[in-house]
Amino acid sequence: MPGFGRVLARLFTIQAAWNYERMQGVGFGHAAEPALRSLDGGAGGERYKAALARQTRFFNAHPYFAGLAVGASVRAELDGEQPERIERLREALCGPLGSIGDRLFWASWLPTCAAAAVVAFVFGARIWAAVLFLALYNAAHLVCRVWALRAGWERGLQVAGALSSPALRWMGRVAAPLASVLVGAALPLAFVWQLRGAAGGARLAAALGVVVMAVLLRVARARAGGVVLAAVVLAVTGITGWLWW
Amino acid sequence: MTLLQVAIAVAAGTFVGLDLASVPQAMFSRPIVAGLIGALATGHPLPGLAIGAILELFAMDTLPVGASRNPDWGPGSVAVGALAGAHAEGILASGLLGLVLVAVVAAWAGGWMSHAVRRANTDAVSATRAALEAGDAAAVRALQREGLLRDATRSFALTALALGLGDIVSGFFARSWAGPQTLAQVALVATSVGVALFAGVQLAGAGRQRLWFAGGIGAGVLAAAALLR
Repeated sequence: MPGFGRVLARLFTIQAAWNYERMQGVGFGHAAEPALRSLDGGAGGERYKAALARQTRFFNAHPYFAGLAVGASVRAELDGEQPERIERLREALCGPLGSIGDRLFWASWLPTCAAAAVVAFVFGARIWAAVLFLALYNAAHLVCRVWALRAGWERGLQVAGALSSPALRWMGRVAAPLASVLVGAALPLAFVWQLRGAAGGARLAAALGVVVMAVLLRVARARAGGVVLAAVVLAVTGITGWLWW
Repeated sequence: MTLLQVAIAVAAGTFVGLDLASVPQAMFSRPIVAGLIGALATGHPLPGLAIGAILELFAMDTLPVGASRNPDWGPGSVAVGALAGAHAEGILASGLLGLVLVAVVAAWAGGWMSHAVRRANTDAVSATRAALEAGDAAAVRALQREGLLRDATRSFALTALALGLGDIVSGFFARSWAGPQTLAQVALVATSVGVALFAGVQLAGAGRQRLWFAGGIGAGVLAAAALLR
């Protein structure tokens, strides 16, 4: 792929101009631009301008997997495919790339790494807990970015096949249970760590509070998210502590 | 905190705020990292890391999915991490509660500010539509630059606000707290672990996945019991 490094680097800013009209479209076009310079007529040529205009239109997917669509679209542009086919390809990839990325990264790998870091911190890893988090998370993140762009470029319009690769399917099967186990394990450890040195009564009250908070969230979730509810509970506690008789 | 430490913390908060969505989404904006980064500005990383670990439990409820308006934990975590680091001699549970409260409010405000940035980006894209449809590379670059600048401004303001507010609120709670410190400690545990428990249940969904989650809790209880001995 011409300009592979520059396209890859620009993919890290695919959401810099995220907006409600084209979502990641502007960032998509910005990432694809270095490779489009290889079109007949070069940068500023008619084919280049038409391709860049197409690539900045609406697009939205998981940012780590967007490279798959960028690689495939650039390949299709350089192969001289029909503009309608290229636009259909971009539209068709939005849903699957968003869904796979959300499931693998946001709902599995991110909680897995966060919980692993909390567990490591409780066990005394100190600064290494944060280092472990960044290293674990970004190892997968960076491999995914490079793989996606390369796979998109290699397959062009046949890119859908890359989404059914055995590695991706295996990760889909393993990632979610791993996240559940680690998040589950982190909870009692975080509880004990925060209450180190506290009396038995305080532990009992906190355990009761944990259950009440989780139930409150379940009941009030539609009206207020976890952040708002937590802020209200903390603020009420603060006022109570201040006005204590 | 010295003026230099404040400047470093605000610069770090700006970087971390950009990481959330604009560049590079490498999760520097997660509280356990951002809290540490903030505290490094004061030369005492551990208190910031500890408050980051508590905030990480709250953040487990946040999955930065697609176009939804998500809380931004980064700038607030940097700010309270720096403030915790500035009190390296130790901080009362009530003061800690004040810092966590400010970080939670900052995360919520950060989500709304991101929404405002996205709307401003939308206006800019609408105004440049003709140039984009003509394949003007300079217009694309300008939109990217302006988007980054807007997000950097948002992150800068959010970090500065959280630093100022965190100093006032935690100082007030530490000085004027008339109740037992255990009350603050219990409230912190109940909210942080309660939110994480709810997030875990949601994450596990239904069926076999919940068994994995329950198994994880069981393993955690055994490990916690070993830690207590």
